[in-house]
Amino acid sequence: MTTSLAAPRATATTLTWQGSSALTQVRVLTWRCVRALLTDPAVLLFGLLQPVITLFVLTQVFSKMGPPPHFPPGIKYLDFVLPAVLVDNAVQSAVQSGIGLVEDLKNGLVSRLRSMPVAPGSLLVARSLATLVRSAIQAGIILLLGTTVLGYAPHGGVTAIAESVALTLFISWSLAWVFIAAAAWLRRAEPIQNLAVIAVLPMMFASSAYIPVADLPDWLAAVSRLNPLTYAIDSTRALALGLPGSTAALPALLLGAGVAAVGATLAATGFRRPLGQG
Amino acid sequence: MIEAHGLGKTFGSVRALDSVSLSARRGTVLALLGHNGAGKTTLVSILSAALAPSEGRASIAGYDVTREARQVRQRIGLTGQFASVDGQLSGRDNLLLLARLLGAGRRAALARADELLELFGLTELADRRARTYSGGLRRRLDLAASLVGRPEVIFLDEPTTGLDPASRLNLWEIVEGLVAEGTTVLLTTQYLEEADRLADSITVLSAGSVIASGTAADLKARVGRRTVTIDLDPADDRDTALDALRRAGLTPVTGREDGAVVLPADGSREIAAVVRALDQVGIEAAELIYGEPSLDDVYLTLSGHPAGSSLLLPEGATP
Repeated sequence: MTTSLAAPRATATTLTWQGSSALTQVRVLTWRCVRALLTDPAVLLFGLLQPVITLFVLTQVFSKMGPPPHFPPGIKYLDFVLPAVLVDNAVQSAVQSGIGLVEDLKNGLVSRLRSMPVAPGSLLVARSLATLVRSAIQAGIILLLGTTVLGYAPHGGVTAIAESVALTLFISWSLAWVFIAAAAWLRRAEPIQNLAVIAVLPMMFASSAYIPVADLPDWLAAVSRLNPLTYAIDSTRALALGLPGSTAALPALLLGAGVAAVGATLAATGFRRPLGQG
Repeated sequence: MIEAHGLGKTFGSVRALDSVSLSARRGTVLALLGHNGAGKTTLVSILSAALAPSEGRASIAGYDVTREARQVRQRIGLTGQFASVDGQLSGRDNLLLLARLLGAGRRAALARADELLELFGLTELADRRARTYSGGLRRRLDLAASLVGRPEVIFLDEPTTGLDPASRLNLWEIVEGLVAEGTTVLLTTQYLEEADRLADSITVLSAGSVIASGTAADLKARVGRRTVTIDLDPADDRDTALDALRRAGLTPVTGREDGAVVLPADGSREIAAVVRALDQVGIEAAELIYGEPSLDDVYLTLSGHPAGSSLLLPEGATP
């Protein structure tokens, strides 16, 4: 009965492998998510659908209507709206990180990882990084369409676009933690999708995304000023248009860092809870 | 190789496990037999260092599952109730991913993946996405996945649930091969037949407690190799029937359904005794079924209660 307790380690055979570093775990798991993305172009395509349609519809509508009174002078509507569309894309990608984690919980990957010498946080970090990659690929496609088909050419030039996109990707990464946290706690896809519908549509409209806040009705303007997306969009837009000074990125960076920190903490605690019992 | 003493687990107000003790030697198969909700998966989670027990202790290969979880995880493989393979990845990539996570280099990972694909007859499908695999193939890939790190102990949580008979047989053969090579297996199952075929020892769980443990032969000796299930007419009194059967030296218990009585019976002599005893009190069975004991029968005979009906088990039932 107790033989193996009495002489415990003498019976243990040598391990085949000694386990991997946290860095390797994150790299391997991130590559797994990205790979699934690359081998399934339909996923990317559907992810691009909403931002691209928004981009085309808005630029068509607003070029017919003419600019609202508080629109920054001397700026094309396309140049104004494209940074916001990239943020929209960033939010959409962030939602997918939550959906992805729910899938991992459902298909048993998480339970398998728990039985392996793998840090639980590795998968969460991997999911957030995969979102970053996804966001970057989609942003690249939107930019390509914007510059070649529509003629996107903001005042800031190539450097400004690069800075703006980099900030947008950071926002995407930090928002990913919100949806990863939601997935870690809710563990079902439906509430996350609902959360996404609420987060994406109204929050984009009740922000500085499509027209300047000053041109929104008063109550909507008030909501917009409370909406973190307004500050994210203002920052990426200011960078792309080369508007004010070097501090433009600061609000978005601080906000993003805060959101990521809170999201990651919540995600880690939610993820640690036991899996469903059978 | 697997040792557990007085394991208990409480989720909120639910007592999922209560003072469970078990042990399995190297190179043997221990089967955990029980219905859904009996606590099998909770027990496997604790033993595989995925869930902390509320009380008690357990060790795998001499390593404590709570204090030395990492060492435990380096030595075990787990196949859950649902094949945990990534449908988006090919069979080979599923195995590569796990090998890399376990610390294998690129080349070693590839070699191990190909070795396992070969062993499980998946080489030809290695590059197809796992989501295109049939249920049986997925389960095979899942089992292969749990073997990537050459574990000393593998946990198979209802490995054949939902498999067709041919796939089930195939999986049994694979498990037997592993055990022959010295792997220790803990298997949970709802099928007495499966435990009988594979296990060196069987532990029966009911409502979170061990109600019996021993070899398959031990259990069968207690349950009877075969059982008779008697369905009575609603008009007949079940207690009268039970009394009559007891007087005839038999050990009947009330069945799950109303009006059913179950008892172990090893041959025609017992059947004759059943018929005689019922005849004497003027009861005619509506139906009389003679067959292999089911898990229900095991529960009934060992606990004296239908499965899950009560936490209070007779003293004699606990080994």
